[in-house]
Amino acid sequence: MKGKFTLGVLTLMLSAGAMSAAQAYDGDWKRGRIYYRQVCTVCHTTELKKAIGPNERTQAEWAAFFKNDKHGKGKDTVKHFFSKQYRDSIKATNAAAAKFAAVPDNELLEDVKAFLNRSAKDGDAPAGCS
Amino acid sequence: MRTGIFMAALMAAMLLAPAVDAASDPGSAKLLKSTADHSQFKALQQEFNSGPEVTKACLSCHTEASKQLHKTEHWKWEYRNAQGQLLGKKTLINNFCTTPVTNEAACNICHIGYGWKDDSFDFTSEVNVDCLVCHDSTGNYRKPAGLAGNVVTKEMEFPPGSGNIIKPINLKKIAQAVGKTSRDNCGACHFYGGGGDGVKHGDMDSSLASPDKALDVHMDALGNDFACSTCHMTQGHQVPGSRYAPTAQDKGEAHLRGKAYKTNPTTCQACHGQAPHKKIAKLNDHTDKVACQTCHIPKFARGGIATKMSWDWSTAGKMGPDGKPLTIKDAKGHPIYTAIKGDFVLGENVVPEYLWFNGTVTYTLRSDKIDKGKEPVRINHFEGSAGDGKSLIWPVKIMRGKQAFDSVNKTLIVAHLAGNDDTAYWTNFNWEKAAAVGMAAVGEPFSGKVDFVKTESTWPITHMVAPAKDALRCHDCHASGGRLEKVRGVYIPGRASDHAGWLDTTGWAIAALTLLGVLGHGLARVLASRRNK
Repeated sequence: MKGKFTLGVLTLMLSAGAMSAAQAYDGDWKRGRIYYRQVCTVCHTTELKKAIGPNERTQAEWAAFFKNDKHGKGKDTVKHFFSKQYRDSIKATNAAAAKFAAVPDNELLEDVKAFLNRSAKDGDAPAGCS
Repeated sequence: MRTGIFMAALMAAMLLAPAVDAASDPGSAKLLKSTADHSQFKALQQEFNSGPEVTKACLSCHTEASKQLHKTEHWKWEYRNAQGQLLGKKTLINNFCTTPVTNEAACNICHIGYGWKDDSFDFTSEVNVDCLVCHDSTGNYRKPAGLAGNVVTKEMEFPPGSGNIIKPINLKKIAQAVGKTSRDNCGACHFYGGGGDGVKHGDMDSSLASPDKALDVHMDALGNDFACSTCHMTQGHQVPGSRYAPTAQDKGEAHLRGKAYKTNPTTCQACHGQAPHKKIAKLNDHTDKVACQTCHIPKFARGGIATKMSWDWSTAGKMGPDGKPLTIKDAKGHPIYTAIKGDFVLGENVVPEYLWFNGTVTYTLRSDKIDKGKEPVRINHFEGSAGDGKSLIWPVKIMRGKQAFDSVNKTLIVAHLAGNDDTAYWTNFNWEKAAAVGMAAVGEPFSGKVDFVKTESTWPITHMVAPAKDALRCHDCHASGGRLEKVRGVYIPGRASDHAGWLDTTGWAIAALTLLGVLGHGLARVLASRRNK
């Protein structure tokens, strides 16, 4: 009897967890825009002397970029640049990394994806670096 | 027993989980922004096939909104200034794309209404007010050019036969997510004035949608994050701070919350007061002559987007070797010549020009006679002088160009530019046909003769306020060849043109004689004291 009760509670918990996951986070493109411009673009401009405008890729190309999860020809993962660890490492000199230091990694990633999706070459509002 | 403890712990964890969630979940952030979740309103839980259908739903709660909008310049595109001149997009000609008249289908995507395609537009219609263009928070709202401000809710090819497919927007989703206006809303039109990003103003472009502190201390997305309406404090949909009614000099105090003011809330003084410099009080001695913007906006077009500095319509109409309309781009890929518009000069990080401004702007209107012998014709000009007691030295962008005028009637030309018809200049490259249609539409005579005249228009620089550390320094103005070299009527120490040679010589001579006198007197005292010993 006790076993059945435990099983029931566990089932309930799993269901609750599944429901929570189903309430998928809806990316905030405006926050993504800030992070992309003030972290991604700033670093690319400083290190590589050339930033990549969102409108230089199609939505499909951006989606593939995030799916492959390779940055710098595979030296790092893309996810690394959205991690708290990365933000902590640059927050002393980067105001956006400092401001969003506590944002969960996956949310920030979704934010930037949302921004790039709308700002891509074939997006609703193609946008350059500025 | 163990199972009981385990179960109790699990239940506690499940009960506590939502509380922890509430502190960090996006829903909480949304809750703090508004007391109304528009997705729960029945009126918005339907599919919409047009903009006016959405407005009808909005008006079912916001009953007076359209009536308020009908009283605004955003709706009327008309404004009568203190001199009695009738201004506004409906009547003025500028030296960019000149005028929306007869080009309504293209230009009027920036009217806050639906369906203004010609002069039959009903300005009394409440459902033709476009609520979403200012209150969309999704960033997905679009009014494609050529559709007279209407939105697309079903995929369509436009222009017909072009192969260009316009994607539909989801009005239900957009309507359910309305909110306060943001920089993106205002910027959808104001960043793109003159026909493109940053073209017209120089101090407003899409870089201000999400600027850093260096670009604008007030709008800094990670700092103050001002919306446009933070300064342009709107009441009853009336937006103060129009360039048609500028305040050149504000002698009022900083506005206090709760106190009623009739003065312009967009001035610097409305927040910063009359003595804003606390550390270097000497700087406050400048505020009776120099506008804040002069020192605090050292350059415009600083966000990486070029602004147009000149536009020569007289060279338009050239075809390339392939017989198609010619386009020439600069090294950065910006067009500097297009067959439909002529030659452009673009500018980034532009140092403003400076002039005395007392708040009065006078315009050259459609019916005003112009004289080619007195070029450049001033499309508008800022009034003011050093001695009128009302003027300050202001930074401005002067837009220079060459545009069409009727060489017999001596008036600026209203030309029909956009459209898929035989008379539109951008289709047939024939000025005479385009002018005949444009001038007839506004009821002005047209002789059939088109010539080009040099013109200038003046635009105040008041956005892109830099951090204090980047403001102008003393030597930027107090020097020969400095920023204010051409500003007359005021003595600027350090400026060579303010120095008279004879006055300098006399001054130095008096100083030298004084020194000699002091030394002589001192010497005499010393000698006298020794003799007395």
